[in-house]
Amino acid sequence: MTSEEIIEKVKSDQGEDIQSAEVNLGDAVIFVAPGALHKVAGYLMMDADLNFDYLSHITGADYLNEDRDPRFEVVYEFHSIDKNHSIRMRVGLEEEDPTIPTVSDLWRGALYPERELFDMFGFKIMGHPNLSRLIMPDEWGGHPLLKDYPLTTEDIAFSHNRDFKQDLVKTKPPTR
Amino acid sequence: MSVTEQGLLEREKDSMTLNMGPQHPSTHGVFRVVLEMDGEVVDATEPHIGFLHTGIEKTAEAKRYVHVIPMTDRLDYLSPPSNNLAFCLTTEKLLQTEIPERANYLRVIMCELARMASHLVWLATHALDIGAMTVFLYCWREREMILDLNEEISGVRMMTSYIRLGGVAKDATPGWLQGVRKFINYLPAKIDEYERLLTNNPIWIDRTQGIGVMSREDAINWSMSGPVLRASGANFDLRKQRPYSGYENFDFEVPLGKNGDIYDRYLVRVAELRESRKIVEQALKNLPTGPYKVEDSKISLPNRNTLKSSMEALIHHFKLVSEGVSVPKGETYVPVEGPRGEVGFYIISDGSSVPSRVKLRAPSFMAIPGMCAMMEGCFIADVVGIIGSIDIVMGEVDR
Repeated sequence: MTSEEIIEKVKSDQGEDIQSAEVNLGDAVIFVAPGALHKVAGYLMMDADLNFDYLSHITGADYLNEDRDPRFEVVYEFHSIDKNHSIRMRVGLEEEDPTIPTVSDLWRGALYPERELFDMFGFKIMGHPNLSRLIMPDEWGGHPLLKDYPLTTEDIAFSHNRDFKQDLVKTKPPTR
Repeated sequence: MSVTEQGLLEREKDSMTLNMGPQHPSTHGVFRVVLEMDGEVVDATEPHIGFLHTGIEKTAEAKRYVHVIPMTDRLDYLSPPSNNLAFCLTTEKLLQTEIPERANYLRVIMCELARMASHLVWLATHALDIGAMTVFLYCWREREMILDLNEEISGVRMMTSYIRLGGVAKDATPGWLQGVRKFINYLPAKIDEYERLLTNNPIWIDRTQGIGVMSREDAINWSMSGPVLRASGANFDLRKQRPYSGYENFDFEVPLGKNGDIYDRYLVRVAELRESRKIVEQALKNLPTGPYKVEDSKISLPNRNTLKSSMEALIHHFKLVSEGVSVPKGETYVPVEGPRGEVGFYIISDGSSVPSRVKLRAPSFMAIPGMCAMMEGCFIADVVGIIGSIDIVMGEVDR
């Protein structure tokens, strides 16, 4: 199916659950609310014509600098192996409560990307069997891929000159 | 204390926790897995990753697009061109640029050479893990020739950064093309040699057939990709399914397996070596003449000679070096078929010359949970074979 046909079909079948849909540079993109995520994901997987059986990746995005509402977004990319078409599902997340349901019960491949979302962005994945840090150490503080997490400032590891350097760290603006 | 007082006799299950890695040669980098053993059989696995985390995705948010390309080399360090290509294609899709034919052909040649080099490293180390020392030395010998070719065209043996925005870094010289031709004529006899050593070798068959089996449905559900997915019988090769960089012009087969075990993954990869060779052969035969990068001075540097006579070229040169390529606002994802499977970048641009978010879809990262599922219920001796058969590269797992 072409991207236009996919959009048409998803819109007509899932009407009110799809916030909006577009063809962006040739790719089919749908926008879904976190509450409807699991239902729409299940539909995308089970529907015989769409048959999105392959999860390509899940990623997060932080639009802090772009002054957008909501601030966060989770992006899912699905392929269909037999039908050879793709769809991208974007889910906006509020800053106050970045919670989404897991899709690892549908695609087991989602287990790691969802843990990475928790690790890097601090999103809460409801129903994930083992939601712990994946890439960063367990005792790490903060979530590195957030835009307000500085790239270069870091805690001073040595006691020498500590007071002096701590001032430096506080006043140094984050990179960019 | 007697034995009964210690409660040794009452223990129901005699399981043992075994730590493997991160400093273990067969984990191909710094992968650590904690195995819960019941005798010789693996009951449960607990993988730990992140030892090689270098924060490339975070760093990329503070670098210009051009500066991200060398960092993509370090992700999948066994085949840098496919990472370069995925990044450049995604950015070029946002820029909506058309790439000249010759650049596309050179990109294909580099990517297929890298695929061959990567599969040779895989075959070498995988065979060594299972105990075949000779194949290791043979494969390294042939890979060395590819690295020499890399050095000749890009100046670097491994981290080539050859594929750039709008084309490639340098044009191929006739001497280099002759070198590639010599190499691809030399390779088939060597692949036959590896196959003579392994394909019908009873020890190799005992260690690989029927081990680490993954059905087609499971492989798809676990998001396996590349040769692992195809060894399970799923016909999904992005070069065929979603042709990019002119792959639709080449005539090649997509090798498929039936059983989805380690042996089938071996057969698929060896067949891919031959198919890659075929693609390079066709690319050399039909290599068009013309520019090797786009003429648009907003994307690629103007010709050095014009700088001395053209004011405009000088301004473009200055702007491009000091400010970088400004990419229109938007987001997109382009997958390409790397040696390990689907490599793709999801890039969000805020309209400036620095990306707002760069996400790598790494085939090795997605394959790790599926690989650990494969290990459960198999013998400890086969764990090494299973890790080897997935061909993980920790650079792109930890990023």
